[in-house]
Amino acid sequence: MTNIRIQYYALLREQAGMSRETVQTNAADAAALYEELRQRHSFSLSKSQLRVAINGEFADWESALSDGQDVVFIPPVAGG
Amino acid sequence: MRAFAFSDSALDLAALRSTVEDRSCGGYVSFEGWVRDHNDGQQVERLEYEAFELLAVKEGERIIEEAVRRFGVTQARCIHRVGLLELGQVAVWVGVSSPHRGEAFAACRYIIDEVKHRVPIWKKEYYVSGNSGWVNCERCASAAHDHDNDHDHDHDHDHDHDQKSVTRHPEGLPASDYSRQQVLAEVGPHGQARIRGARVLVIGAGGLGVPVLSYLAGAGVGTLGIMDGDTLDASNLHRQTLYALQDTGRPKALLAAERLRALNPEVDVRPYVENASRQNLSGIAAGYDVIVDCSDNFTARFLVNDVAVTLGKPAVLASVYQYEGQLQVVTANSACLRCLWPEGTADGTVGNCAQAGVLGPVPGVLGSLQALEVLKVILDIDSPARSSVILVDLRTLESQHLTTKRATNCPAHCLNALQSESGADDDIGISITLPTSDWIVVDVREPNEVAAQPLPGPSVHIPLGQLLDHPEKLADNSKYLCVCARGKRALAASKALRLAGRDAVYLIGGYPG
Repeated sequence: MTNIRIQYYALLREQAGMSRETVQTNAADAAALYEELRQRHSFSLSKSQLRVAINGEFADWESALSDGQDVVFIPPVAGG
Repeated sequence: MRAFAFSDSALDLAALRSTVEDRSCGGYVSFEGWVRDHNDGQQVERLEYEAFELLAVKEGERIIEEAVRRFGVTQARCIHRVGLLELGQVAVWVGVSSPHRGEAFAACRYIIDEVKHRVPIWKKEYYVSGNSGWVNCERCASAAHDHDNDHDHDHDHDHDHDQKSVTRHPEGLPASDYSRQQVLAEVGPHGQARIRGARVLVIGAGGLGVPVLSYLAGAGVGTLGIMDGDTLDASNLHRQTLYALQDTGRPKALLAAERLRALNPEVDVRPYVENASRQNLSGIAAGYDVIVDCSDNFTARFLVNDVAVTLGKPAVLASVYQYEGQLQVVTANSACLRCLWPEGTADGTVGNCAQAGVLGPVPGVLGSLQALEVLKVILDIDSPARSSVILVDLRTLESQHLTTKRATNCPAHCLNALQSESGADDDIGISITLPTSDWIVVDVREPNEVAAQPLPGPSVHIPLGQLLDHPEKLADNSKYLCVCARGKRALAASKALRLAGRDAVYLIGGYPG
């Protein structure tokens, strides 16, 4: 199990009802982690509509996760 | 001959009419403004017109351009008199020709109304009583005090009013003063000269655009383009504080232009009353140094990104969602929006301001950050926004920098690289003679090119822009051969299709080759 600190923005924050949480997960990569969270929070966006950043850098969905990482899920926004 | 000009001698109406004659036109509409013998109860004997010509000609030409673009007329001109005029003489002439009369009437009306309202021209009336008085132009008058009527030059001529007119003369205004910003070591006189020489195009005059435009006009940016096809709605005002309730229904680009010219008359403000599209943006953006995306939808955001990358111009992008905002500056060496979201994002995926709600200061903050980033680009001040996306949560007042990297398979950059290099990576290129049965042929040329030279044999026509927006729309169980005139756009298309998991190649050298 790895401990991951997660931050949500925009629509994801709204749907999760929180901006941050720390989760314990067996997910091997960012894609699996998002899938897990999507089911938990009923997120409407699929991962193809998002980007993920790990420890302050945009990363691939296939990036492996390790204990203590900061993961941010970012939906695109267009309001102006 | 210029589309807008001043003349210090009597107008030759027949000669002027001939300058707008056009065989393609079925209608000609003209307007003549005459010197009348009275104004506001006083008998007028003659008139004298004076103009601040440098500013006035530019403004006049802009009005003609707007009329041509807005109403699609073929020819339009306006000549205004300066100097002494006798009663009955023609003070201003507008001529418009067009295939049909409707547009000609509308354009003619638009030109004379806008000229009266916006062009700095002063009129001195000589009265039979022996007195005389300067009557300022409507543009200056509306800045000086409120008008409750739309009569032309119906002013009181008491002493107090004349004094006001005098103080509103552009030559009587204090000069724009940039001393507070010039104190900064990064600005100084040299930096101020750079700001003055800069040309910035702002797409969208809404919640983000208003602070961007206000601060850039205040800073003395030499040329400010404003692209927005929308009219002002009362629901805009909580976040678009450049405007007023009484302005609702008027085009925002024109309103913003009016306010910005009042804020700083030194700025050459160019309104475009149209939304950015694949047809118009490249041509307009080519005349600017920095492009600022203040739009409110994904289609426009990605379009601004693609055009900026293709033209090699820096772009400052921002968008907001409720209490949050994202900021990104795209320069020659940085990642672009498509490096992050290669396939673009469909509108409706995430709510906009109308659907999701927004507090006015949120776009205010993000727009102010955009204005700041534009000035940094102009002044060559480094910024983390060029190598990261800045996420701001204004509820918690937290911000985060997420480092970006240029994507190797970014469709916007692929297209751009190919426009500057003649060589192509040919692992996905083939040379064959059309037609072919092995592939579904995708013609990515523009409709006019297809009409001029249709491909032999069956093909699907999807202009490159549409294909880059939605490559996933093509079924994933077929093989695609992309074709354009020379091969560059087809290569970008085939790369985008491959990125979306499709099997695609392109025709080297294009068709007909």
